[in-house]
Amino acid sequence: MSYSVNISVEAPIENQIQEITYDGTEIYQPPLTLSESLAKFAQKIDFSKTGEVDIKKESGDLIDDNKSDSDSKDAFQSSLWPWDSARNKLRNAFQEVCVLADVLAIAKDKRYMVLDPVPQDPIETKPMVQIYARKKALAGAASVLLTGAERLKTSQNEAARNRAVPDFHIELLRLRQNWRLKKVSNTIIGDLSYRTAGSKFTQTGTFEVTKAEDDEKTNSPPSSPVPGGATPSKTNSALRVSIPSELQGVAYIEVLCQKDQEDLCSVNVNLLGSGPPASNPDMHWQQKLEAAQNVLFCKELFNQLAKEAVQLQAPIPHMVVGNQIMATVFPGIQLIIGLCHSTTGDKKPANAATSKTDHDHVLEHSLHQLLREVHHRNTHHPFPHPATGPLGPSKKRMLAGPMAADRYELLEMTKSETLLEQIIKQAQHFFMRLRTEYVLDTIAKEVKDPLISSHWNTLNSPTQSCVKINISTHGYDALCRTPLVIHVGEKSLKCICRDGKVMHMSYEPQELRDLIFCHINQHQILAVQALAKTMGWQFLANSNHLGTGAVEPLGNASSCLLASPTGDRIIAVRCEPQSGIQVSVAHSPRSDFFPSRLVTERKWEHLGGQFRDVRLEKMEGRNFLHKMELLMASLTSSS
Amino acid sequence: MTSPGTAIDSLNAALKCNIIPNQEYLLQGSVLDQYVEVLLHRLRGLCDNVDSGPESFHDHELYFVLRATNTGGPMVLPLRVRRALDVPDAPWQLRYVGQQELGDKNRPTVVRSSIDMACSSTIVEFLTELGCRVEFEYIARGYMFRKGRMKITVSKIFKMGNIANKSGEGVEPISQSYLVELSVLAPSGQDAIAEDMRIFAEQLRPLVQLEKIDYKRLGNLP
Repeated sequence: MSYSVNISVEAPIENQIQEITYDGTEIYQPPLTLSESLAKFAQKIDFSKTGEVDIKKESGDLIDDNKSDSDSKDAFQSSLWPWDSARNKLRNAFQEVCVLADVLAIAKDKRYMVLDPVPQDPIETKPMVQIYARKKALAGAASVLLTGAERLKTSQNEAARNRAVPDFHIELLRLRQNWRLKKVSNTIIGDLSYRTAGSKFTQTGTFEVTKAEDDEKTNSPPSSPVPGGATPSKTNSALRVSIPSELQGVAYIEVLCQKDQEDLCSVNVNLLGSGPPASNPDMHWQQKLEAAQNVLFCKELFNQLAKEAVQLQAPIPHMVVGNQIMATVFPGIQLIIGLCHSTTGDKKPANAATSKTDHDHVLEHSLHQLLREVHHRNTHHPFPHPATGPLGPSKKRMLAGPMAADRYELLEMTKSETLLEQIIKQAQHFFMRLRTEYVLDTIAKEVKDPLISSHWNTLNSPTQSCVKINISTHGYDALCRTPLVIHVGEKSLKCICRDGKVMHMSYEPQELRDLIFCHINQHQILAVQALAKTMGWQFLANSNHLGTGAVEPLGNASSCLLASPTGDRIIAVRCEPQSGIQVSVAHSPRSDFFPSRLVTERKWEHLGGQFRDVRLEKMEGRNFLHKMELLMASLTSSS
Repeated sequence: MTSPGTAIDSLNAALKCNIIPNQEYLLQGSVLDQYVEVLLHRLRGLCDNVDSGPESFHDHELYFVLRATNTGGPMVLPLRVRRALDVPDAPWQLRYVGQQELGDKNRPTVVRSSIDMACSSTIVEFLTELGCRVEFEYIARGYMFRKGRMKITVSKIFKMGNIANKSGEGVEPISQSYLVELSVLAPSGQDAIAEDMRIFAEQLRPLVQLEKIDYKRLGNLP
């Protein structure tokens, strides 16, 4: 039989029984109020054992003694106040702190008390022990690192050996080091245009980067990398770049300078497709991207040149036909700039050889440089000095205000030369230089008597060169030399002659030729005069522009008269630019003097006789001056 | 070509077209001396023209004040004259900077009207004849960068030392930090640039915190 028994659970009595009355009621001690219980706990605090402060044993003992004393006192006076011990402890602590504060204040003042460090004995260090300890520790750390590195290296080598194709991510890293890439949703897009370098061309140059998939290989599992057995020239790469169709292939700008063709249409689009090699579809991505960037650059350059060709007003208008621009450099000479873009491997053998040799690489390079300069100017604007000035205006513009520039000056500041004008100027200078060289070389080959030597300056600009010409006679260089300086510009020549005269000539080569011949003429006469001085002959007269004799077709004849040291011989030299030199000699006492009715006295025979021509071509001597020297030597009489 | 017209006409036309930059959008901050190299390195990478190094400048600025007492109360016209000490033939710059525009509290930058003009060195004489007095002057030396339209200057302000040695040896800096300013001069109404400035300033955190400063609260400092 099971009864449910009620069990009551009671907590034991918490409070102590103070008294049990006679009738059985228990009087409990009332529980401690909050303040009383706090007082009880406060009494239990032992101030000597609080915190982590290191208390010296002596003071600790003292405090313990104090505590025990106060405890014993408390035992007598416990009824007085439970907080007493706590208060006393706090008061002592406060006292100590006040004393410390006072000491610190006095020590800070440094007038009555100063804190000085107690000299410590230096700790004896054994350097060798330290070094050994450090070496051991470093060796331990180094061994840990080395084992880690070894492990990584072996794992990397294994991974590399296992796959013939480099990792996609490593390739991507290499690609990222050379080109700007951006991730747009799921695809990786790159930019190969010159926009960040300052180009303002509207055509975009974006390309896409994808993982290379081996879809053209059969019988190979999809996971294996592309094997390199089928075509040995194929470069294995884990990624593929897709370039927009208009930028595929290889392009370059062809620059030709040629003489007028009778049939302008003959210089036609045959130039296209010839020259640049076929683009290998399996090229490495770096070459592909570089080729595409070059195509974009050439397109921008041609676009800019074509725009300018249409807008510029030239005396003979420029023509733009298809992929070619024809500009006239000189009457009869044309500059042809063409954009050659080959997309696939079709090669046109016709005209390939001629156009390749005529293509002017220097001018093509100049065109590239000019466009890059335009880009550079678009990005590199000058900074304002002082720093609070506006960004943008050039230095001239900034000075225009305070220096009161007028409207004309401001308009001039805005004008700048177009690319086409600049390249035409360079082509013109190129032609001028070529012509001047040709003229000088031809004259040097033709004229052997005075030697013509020309020295071209090594430093020149694309639009200006300088050549120094020396006319001297072989063997008599120290005697007389005629220097000339010719500045070759774009369309004109400037010649500075030996006497300081400046002559401006046009682009016709005949003008330079005539000038040089005139100078040769002058040189001969001057050389004869210098020679006469050294030989002791007297110089009687000279004329640079002789008015007597036949009219010269070119320039003027010049002449000089020389007398021998004793005065009995006179030499007359007449030099003409076209016809050459004539020399005549006269004797002073006439050999054919006969007194006549008019002239009776003998003394008149000293007036000098007829001039007789000397046949220079029959004379001995290397050149004219040598012949003159021999002549003078032979005519000098010793008496 | 059309006939020139008078200068006033073209000036009025220019004002109407709103192409004269007469407002400055500004953000300022400072960086301690020991960290300025890091900041310059970061700016060099973020700003235009990485290939050419940062452009240095060395300027001397004078602050003129023209005081007048009108019926409305005392009027004060502040003017600044700045010259480049490192480029002696650059023109002097006269600048008027207005009060900060009290507008939208959410505007990311300080907007104030600013008028700059280039002038010759006789401007100091001219202003003194007008009645302006020099309140203070200082020398600023540092680097400037640009990104698009934005100009960033990192400069150290020096007290004017002895007048005899203006070459820069006798000057003492007023603090051990550099002042960093990001500013754009634009015609009024182009508030979109302020957002671009704020985005750029974010990229320089936590090296330097460029923010808009309330100039009125600065006046209460001792």
